[in-house]
Amino acid sequence: MLRISHIIKNFENVNALQNVSLTINKGEFFGLLGPNGAGKSTLMNIIIGYLEADSGQISFNDQIISSSNISLRKKFGYVPQEVSLYLELSAHQNLRIFGKFYDFSAKELENKIEEVLELVQLKDRKKDPVKEYSGGMKRRLNLAASLLHDPEILLCDEPTVGVDPQSRNAIFDMLNVLNKAGKTILYTTHYMEEAERLCSRLAIIDNGNIIAQGSLIDLINLLNQKDTIKIQKTTFTQNKLALLKDMGRVSESDFYLELIPKESYDRNSKIFAKLEEIGIQNEFVQISRATLEDVFLNLTGRSLRD
Amino acid sequence: MKNIYHLVIKDINRFLNDRRAVILTFIVPIILIIIFGNIFGGSGGVRGKAEILLVNESKSVVAKLLESKLDSSKALRTVKTYTAENGKDTLMFDEETAKEWVRTGRISAAVVMPKDFFTDTSSAIKIKFYYDPKNEIESNIIQGNLQQTIFTQIPRMMPILMQRKAANYLGSDSAKRFLKGMGKIAHEYFGVSPDSFYNRLTRIDSASLFSSSADTSSETNIMSNLVRFDSEQLVGKKITNPGLTRSVGGWAMMFLLFSLTGAATSIFEERNEGTLKRLLCMPITRSDILWSKYIYSMLLGMIQLLVMFVFAWVFFGVEIFSNFGNLLIVIIASAAAAVSFGMLITSISKTYSQANGISTLLILVMSALGGSWFPTSFLPGWMQVISKGTLTYWSMEGFLQVLWRHSSFAGIALNVLVLLSIAVLINFYALIRFRRGII
Repeated sequence: MLRISHIIKNFENVNALQNVSLTINKGEFFGLLGPNGAGKSTLMNIIIGYLEADSGQISFNDQIISSSNISLRKKFGYVPQEVSLYLELSAHQNLRIFGKFYDFSAKELENKIEEVLELVQLKDRKKDPVKEYSGGMKRRLNLAASLLHDPEILLCDEPTVGVDPQSRNAIFDMLNVLNKAGKTILYTTHYMEEAERLCSRLAIIDNGNIIAQGSLIDLINLLNQKDTIKIQKTTFTQNKLALLKDMGRVSESDFYLELIPKESYDRNSKIFAKLEEIGIQNEFVQISRATLEDVFLNLTGRSLRD
Repeated sequence: MKNIYHLVIKDINRFLNDRRAVILTFIVPIILIIIFGNIFGGSGGVRGKAEILLVNESKSVVAKLLESKLDSSKALRTVKTYTAENGKDTLMFDEETAKEWVRTGRISAAVVMPKDFFTDTSSAIKIKFYYDPKNEIESNIIQGNLQQTIFTQIPRMMPILMQRKAANYLGSDSAKRFLKGMGKIAHEYFGVSPDSFYNRLTRIDSASLFSSSADTSSETNIMSNLVRFDSEQLVGKKITNPGLTRSVGGWAMMFLLFSLTGAATSIFEERNEGTLKRLLCMPITRSDILWSKYIYSMLLGMIQLLVMFVFAWVFFGVEIFSNFGNLLIVIIASAAAAVSFGMLITSISKTYSQANGISTLLILVMSALGGSWFPTSFLPGWMQVISKGTLTYWSMEGFLQVLWRHSSFAGIALNVLVLLSIAVLINFYALIRFRRGII
């Protein structure tokens, strides 16, 4: 559906994108995960036509996206990082302005506006100026403005930055509903929790390079170890340290012993059985599952939040 | 104390990193000081001279004297010739051509010394002064300097003028007999030759007239009855509110530039707020957005100017409807040029605050140089040349042509052409930059 081929983009002193290639298939919820400055928004800006790539091409349904092929943009819905709305106008006025650029009759546009306002639960506040909305409401309207023309693909560029957890969950739910209804979604984020929760397939981007891509399981499988066992330090566990070291690599922090089990202990049930065997109670044990954060750390040597 | 020191240093650093604040604090006032300093002669350099057209049709030596004094005036610059329509010949002005030049606004004032300026029987010299008081201060300066130059020279001719006055009153034979009699008395008491005495009283000594040694200042006041100073206002006689009619265009233009630059640079606001990006993701081209800004700003500019002129008409009686068609043409051309100025600022700036700083500087300088605040003739010669490179100048002159002179389209054609050329060239440049995504 959306094919990104060998995109290179350089700014004055920055190689923002270095030969980036991706394919997003119809109906996918595709995540682009990377730290700030990795090149996510630059790639998004090139897809929507805000920036031009130095080289490479992007095609949608085998049609090359270019500044001259603007009718192709009707198939995109873009949810920007910022609240991209005219704050002094009402939700209804904003949606009318944006809807006018698509081929709706006046009645169709009104119906569409009502429909998307219903979806983002802002129907009751549609006549209020957007500047009076809460941050979460603005974000929901931001999403609504991208859905007016029923786009084939929704391009979400970190749409939940600075949003409270409740509104974030509401947006996630809406996106899930849309994806289940068949909408293709490309979602950039630097929150690995979002990527894990929402995306069926992911690419990890760092310093303008795609360093890994696949399903969440594919990416986790890139790690040598999957889970880490944290054991609360007590006098008793200290005495069992030698036995723990037989199970895998053990490191110590102030309050915990951290065990990365050997390959033979990769099943949790085995680990718990062995811990019980050596006399460590379950209440002192915590399993830390491998996350995309670990994948990123493993691939780059840095944390996603660095 | 240490904390205060660090806080002060922090504020200084923040200030120095805010280019707009630095420009507004130092550069703008410095430039305005330079301009005003030159106007009021503070720099000690050559001050701007008011241009005056001089026609000397008299063969009299007195006329020659006045011409030379006007030529060397520190406040006036005399213009005596013009290039003929064939572009080759240089012709001397005559009275009719001089009047036409004043009437059409090519010059503010003309002095004509006619053939009968000072004949053998004249008891007063005759000077014609034609003027266009479109800039009242300039007009007063010209008249003041002209009269000062004339009256300071008149005392040297006082004896001859007074005798001619006496001859007119007594009859020339009686006056002649009286003077001859005076010659005899002078001969009798002082041993002076009667003929020589008579000649001194009745002939003009051109050498002494051109000498600069005579102190004449105390005699100036009584001279006015020896000069027939016929002044005629050729333009703007029917203007009900001349002061505002002259200045409304200038102020309107300055605020138009501010508001339209704001409208054009709102592209930056749209970029910062993200709406520009959203629009560009829609089936809209960059050119569409630029044109929409242009048309919106044009409409805003035209409405703003119209509102200002209508306001001036309602409250101050500035006559705008007698030449309304041409006023509309100048409004459209001025708005087009002002919008293009905004587009230029937008295209050369990287941020909204940078655009704001640059535009404030340029608008204030253009307003000062272009005649919004005072007549450009007050400026030194080199500044007057720069003045013609500002769109304020062409716009101001256009409004004056329409409101003050009630010119036909031919009278405003050059102004309109220049303003529209500025608009087309700048917009072409801005469009290229916008298409390339530079804005």
